[in-house]
Formats: sequence, structure tokens, C-alpha cells
Amino acid sequence: MLPATALALGVLAALLAWPVPAALARARWPRRDPLAALVCWQAIGLAGGLAIIGALLVHGLAPWGHSLPEAWWHWVTRQPSAEPVRGDHWVAQTLAAVLTLELLGVLALSGVRTARTRRRHRALLELLVRPGASSGERASAEETLLLDHPAPVAFCIPGARPLLVLSSGMVAELDGAQLDAVVAHERAHLREHHHLLLLPFVAWRAALPVLPAADRAHDGVRDLVEMRADDVALRSLSGPDPRRTLAVAIVAAAGGAGGQVPEGALAVTGGPVAVRVRRLLAPADPLPTRARWAALASAVALLLVPTLLLLLPALL
Amino acid sequence: MASLGELERTLMDRLWAAAGPISAPELQAELADRGLALTTVHTVLSRLEQKGFVVHDDRRPRRFAPRATREAHAAELMHEVLGQAGDRQAALARFVGSVDAEDAAMLRELLGGGTAAGPDATGVR
Repeated sequence: MLPATALALGVLAALLAWPVPAALARARWPRRDPLAALVCWQAIGLAGGLAIIGALLVHGLAPWGHSLPEAWWHWVTRQPSAEPVRGDHWVAQTLAAVLTLELLGVLALSGVRTARTRRRHRALLELLVRPGASSGERASAEETLLLDHPAPVAFCIPGARPLLVLSSGMVAELDGAQLDAVVAHERAHLREHHHLLLLPFVAWRAALPVLPAADRAHDGVRDLVEMRADDVALRSLSGPDPRRTLAVAIVAAAGGAGGQVPEGALAVTGGPVAVRVRRLLAPADPLPTRARWAALASAVALLLVPTLLLLLPALL
Repeated sequence: MASLGELERTLMDRLWAAAGPISAPELQAELADRGLALTTVHTVLSRLEQKGFVVHDDRRPRRFAPRATREAHAAELMHEVLGQAGDRQAALARFVGSVDAEDAAMLRELLGGGTAAGPDATGVR
């Protein structure tokens, strides 16, 4: 029973480490339904970690029992193993422990570091900007700050007291409807906690620099939360052509600071900004309901398969 | 009662406006109209020092000075926002990343495809 389980988990881990993320990163349907695609990415990340660590554990603990829960219990209570323990069992155990600690540790570290950066940004902003400078009639949960700087920039700092920051360059460049679109986009990030969706992928890209899938997954999630925020923003915008209003705002913001920024996260022609603008100007049909449910069901299945592989042998 | 953030901002404004390092009693005197206790001034100054905005010298009484100009702090913040390298990407959500000049031109062309309007004349309203 056990070797087959370990093998199955290993195969699943291999699939999730390369072909599956590659296929999802290449697919075109995610732009039609960013939310469903975001759920899929989260499932891939979780299931991938579960599968690889599970495979190592199942193999490493094989001498102690016929199912993982049983073997784990025997191992924890220091009962003698039923079969001789070979070197590869110890290696698998060690690898499982190291990988678990690394993934969780890097996630925690990344979270702490991010929180510290946010705190510093917030402190700087509170010192540089008088609150209420621009909020005007836009009363809402988060505070809006107007930062005196010529580059057209808008961003939000998530947290318990979220901040929404517009630069004076942005305000000068855009008209009222476009500014509303920018604010609605940033508010969508805050309301749907997109920073939490992105955080594990930022962390795991740092933890697994040799894995191309970690890069793909991070970039995929980063671009999808932007598209999702665009979609949510459109719902709250009035006016004759909100799609075009938002697209104009995006182009104005992207073009204004161009050239001055050496480390622009986006440099390739036809990159994520162009994709965003295109899907606003020429929207594809939304994903059919059946396809959407299929995507969500696959995400659930991805999580269920490793979980069942780990637990079922105990019930048989 | 003014908030702590408001007090920090007021004190920093004074320090930035001052010609040189300035002691806590002098700051208190300058802000006499606000009726601050000297301990309050010290509390706010030490908070600002912890955050890395203020440094002090070794004279008695200690004199305080801003670590950098207001412009330098603004530039530091914008550099991080615009640069957004590595793990900073998770710290804030920026509306649009930067693109190079070529891409910016291509984006404007995309917009032009819809109506004859340029990026400034949007055809909205």
C-alpha cells in the first residue's frame, strides 16, 4: 500500500511542479475569469506542497506502519519499526522536515518583512502628508492621501488601517471619472485582500528559486489580481464608457513614469499592462458558467487528491 | 486633543523649518500656543527617533535634528514605490507598474484604436 501511495503523491508533485503551472500560465481563459483562475493557483500551490511533503513522509515513515496516520503515530510514540529502516527512509524524513520548515519559515519571514515595510511606508506617509488633503467627498473605510510628487502614481497599503495614496501627478493627469476608476481599482484590492493571495507566492518564489513554476505562479497571480481589481472596479463605475475610462487611466499612469524607472517590474512588450488594456477595450465573453464550475471543481479536486492519498489507506 | 500622528507631524515641520539642531525646551517654547508639556515633546521626539526620522547630538540639553530633508524622505518613498523590487511587491498594491517608452507608445496606440481620441481627450462625457 505505502509505496504506491508515495509514488502517486510523487507523480502528483511532479505534475504540479511543472506541467500544470506551465499550462495554466499559458492558458487564455484566466483573463476571462480571473477569480476562478486565482482559486486554481492557490489550489496548485497548496496541493503541490502537500504532495511533495506527503510523498517524502509516506516513504520515510514506511517502516513504521501501513498508512501515514498509523506510521506517524508509531514514529511519534517511538515504537520500534516493523521493518528495517534503511538510509533512504532517513533521507526522506529529513527532506520532508527541511522542506516543511523552509516553506513555512519563508512564508512567515516574508510576512514579517512585508509588514515591516508597510509600517515604514505608513510612517513616512503620515509624516509627509496631512490627512484629509484630498479625501473630500470620497468618504470610506480607508484613508486617502495626496502625495506631492510629479509622477502619476496610485497605490494602496493594505492592513488594519488601509491607506490609499494618490500622487499629485496622478490627480493632474486624470479627470474626475478616471480618478474614480483608479480609486475603485485600489479599493477592490483592499476589499478582496489581494495582498494575502499574493503573499505565499512571493514567499515561495524566494524559497524555491530553482523552480520555474514558482516564478510562473507568482507572475500569474500578480497579473490576475490586477485584472480582478479592474473587473470589480468596473461594476462600481458609472458613466457612458467605464471600460474606456479605466483603460485611459491605466495608460496615463503607465506612460507617465516610463523611462525614469530602472527596475520596472514590467518590461516586455505586450506585457501585463497591455493585456489589461486590451481586455478592457475589447472584452472577451465571460467564461460560461459550466466552464467556471469545471475550473473551480478541478481546484477542489487538486486539494482532495493528495489529502485522500494521505488519509485513505488508514481507513481501508 | 491632537492625535500622536498630528503631533509628530507638527514637530517634524518645526525641525525641518529650523535653521539647525534644536533642543526640546526650545521646541516647547516655539509651540507655546499648543500648550504642550515638556514630557510630551520628549515622548514624541523619542518616537520620531525610533522611527528613524530624528537624530540627536550629545550636548546638554540634547539638541534634535531631522535625519533627512522632507524632500529626501519623499524621494525615498517614491523610489521604493516606483522600483518595487523583490519582496516589496507584496507591501503595497500599485495601480499600474511602469513600462518603458516603447510600450507606453504601444499602449497609447491601443487606446487610439477605439475612437480617434488621444490619451488626454478621452471621449468620456
